[in-house]
Amino acid sequence: MTEQTPSTKNNGFTLRTFALFLLPIILLAGVIALFLNTGGGLNLESPVPIEELTVERYRLERDVFELQVRNTGPQELTIAQVIINDSIMPFEVTPDATLPRLGKAYITIKYSWTGGEAYAVRIFTSNSVPIDLEIPVAFVTPQPDSKTFWGFTLIGLYVGVIPIFLGIFWLPALRNLGKRWMLFLMAVTAGLLLFLGFDTIAEAFEQAAEVPGVFQGIGLIGIGVVSTFLILDAVSKRQAQTGRDEASKRLSLAFTIAIGIGIHNLGEGLAIGAAYSIGEISLGTFLVVGFIIQNITEGLGIIAPVLRDRPTLKALALMGLIGGAPAIIGAWIGGYAPSPTLAVLFLSIGAGAIFQVVYEIAKLIQRDTTKESMSGTVFSGVLVGMMMLWVTGLLIK
Amino acid sequence: MSSKLSRRDFFKLGGLGVLTATGIAALNNKTTSAKHDHHSSLAIQTPMDHGDLPGTGDVDHEKNGFNPGEILTDFDYGTVSTLPNGQTLREYEIVAINKNIEVVPGIEFAAWTYNGRIPGPTIRATEGDRIRIRFVNGSSHPHSMHFHGFHSGEMDGVPGTGPGGMVHPGEEFIYEFDAEPFGLHLYHCHVFPLARHIAKGLYGAFIIDPKEGRPPVDTEMVMVMSGFDIDFDDGNDFYAVNAIPFYYQNHPIQIHVGETVRIYLVNILEFDFVNSFHLHANFFQYYPTGTSLIPSEFTDTIVQGQAQRGILEFSYKYPGMYMFHAHVTEFAELGWNGMFEVLP
Repeated sequence: MTEQTPSTKNNGFTLRTFALFLLPIILLAGVIALFLNTGGGLNLESPVPIEELTVERYRLERDVFELQVRNTGPQELTIAQVIINDSIMPFEVTPDATLPRLGKAYITIKYSWTGGEAYAVRIFTSNSVPIDLEIPVAFVTPQPDSKTFWGFTLIGLYVGVIPIFLGIFWLPALRNLGKRWMLFLMAVTAGLLLFLGFDTIAEAFEQAAEVPGVFQGIGLIGIGVVSTFLILDAVSKRQAQTGRDEASKRLSLAFTIAIGIGIHNLGEGLAIGAAYSIGEISLGTFLVVGFIIQNITEGLGIIAPVLRDRPTLKALALMGLIGGAPAIIGAWIGGYAPSPTLAVLFLSIGAGAIFQVVYEIAKLIQRDTTKESMSGTVFSGVLVGMMMLWVTGLLIK
Repeated sequence: MSSKLSRRDFFKLGGLGVLTATGIAALNNKTTSAKHDHHSSLAIQTPMDHGDLPGTGDVDHEKNGFNPGEILTDFDYGTVSTLPNGQTLREYEIVAINKNIEVVPGIEFAAWTYNGRIPGPTIRATEGDRIRIRFVNGSSHPHSMHFHGFHSGEMDGVPGTGPGGMVHPGEEFIYEFDAEPFGLHLYHCHVFPLARHIAKGLYGAFIIDPKEGRPPVDTEMVMVMSGFDIDFDDGNDFYAVNAIPFYYQNHPIQIHVGETVRIYLVNILEFDFVNSFHLHANFFQYYPTGTSLIPSEFTDTIVQGQAQRGILEFSYKYPGMYMFHAHVTEFAELGWNGMFEVLP
């Protein structure tokens, strides 16, 4: 697993160090073998069966429930009975009612359900462990056809693309602002992003609660946030070393902001698509208007660093797409293959990206404010940015 | 409901969807063989063709050691002898044992039983007989036998009334009393926690016939209504008459047109307040507790609380399949459902 091939020339690698390196691994193998054979003197037999079955998704057709389940417990389990709304129903399991650890199966139940009603599904394992699923609103699960595909595309457009482009359209108006106001706008952007970052983290934690224990949702958040932050930081440092002019540096910062917001919107599209496909939400017109108003601010954030420059239309269009289009992709994935694990990963990557961008903006602001004290502008800008999202958030909460 | 979305805490704005639900796609991408490799009895198909009705297949009765089809007409009159005073003596030996019972296909329940079966033996005597029960506790918990009927305090099988109130594992006790009053009664363990001791299977029917007997009928049956709480949440997961859910749905009870039937019906269901019995396409005479020879009601549905019981008498006019079940319909779909197959 940890096979390494260090070069011999610069660190004096010898057969001896190699053997010393291997020694703990050999000892580890010995300890594992001992444990497997003797149990190491511990009583490892659990007095009660520990069984965990996760319903990863469900699909409703006329007169049919189909559940996709995964054994997320530590040992093999067998599906023994299925009860729907206090009624024991005949069922079929494909490929097998006995699932190995992490094994997946499909349970098909013929049941003449009624649209719009709620259903409680209880699965009993052979060890009498109940696994409950609530179907809050029953309706035919959207199938991947052109109609629903276009529907999810529209969701992504409304939530991501349209608002961001609307925000970008502010560029001509804001271009004529004075330096102090531009700084203020940068601070507003930092505030927006901070708010978005905290919100994304919170959402990631919420989704993590839905991730089967074995996939360690909280751990995924750490991996996503930290690695994204460090990668983007490395990329921006490398760009800084290429010695380009300030304008192109600001442009690349704008692109980085677009990427951060884009990944955030991908995670958001995933969550919305998933919720929509199981009937947890319905997107009313009021809600869509709320989205557009709130997400305009994301577009504003993207263009803030380049207000004093003259970015090409092509660059602006590209930034808008990078920031908004992932919402469409997210809605597709969430709609057809919802997965809390995937959502956690993308939300945490988005959060990492956003925090890195805030860090970049902070550096930019610092560079601009070294000559004169403008901390009042920065403070009010950050606060206004956060308040903007908070207030527009009232519309859609 | 919208817990998955924090920033986008959507209301359920009902209906105004961007999407519309689409038509039905055929489920054709999977094989439809239900494979269960642990138990051959995990078959989904039942002996009767129920289509998509609620139900389960058969459990392994042989492994369980009892069969509701036999319990239905199994009356235990005991070992009969005559005492010096001329009184009839009926002697029984009843052993409490822990036993894993397959209650529905694929699920075993760690039950407590009298003589390895649920319900325990249907003890049947005539009014005035002497009943002597040697109760042996072969299980791992203290148990007792508490009979409904007349008897002295130390024969009541309740903790605090003497050695018969709580018989410890490996110990035994002889319950002895005269069978009275006539009627349909029951017995159960009365050791605490009571609900658990009963719900785990320690109960049975106790019939005392009147001295002059009841009017003869063609068929007599005993049905003990109960449930199983397999996940110990103090709520029943399955319901049945004579322990095994859907048994008489899968194996209809065969009778003939005009045949007179008498059912001794006992309710010992824990956790739920009432149980009921409803007979399809027919009415029956009902004798609550069986303590009178005059029926109190001519009806097709009766309700019983826990430990209530009564005798039903009826016959069918027309051949066909007739359902009988708890008209607490939730119980019916969780196992308390059966069929009479009335032959010409």
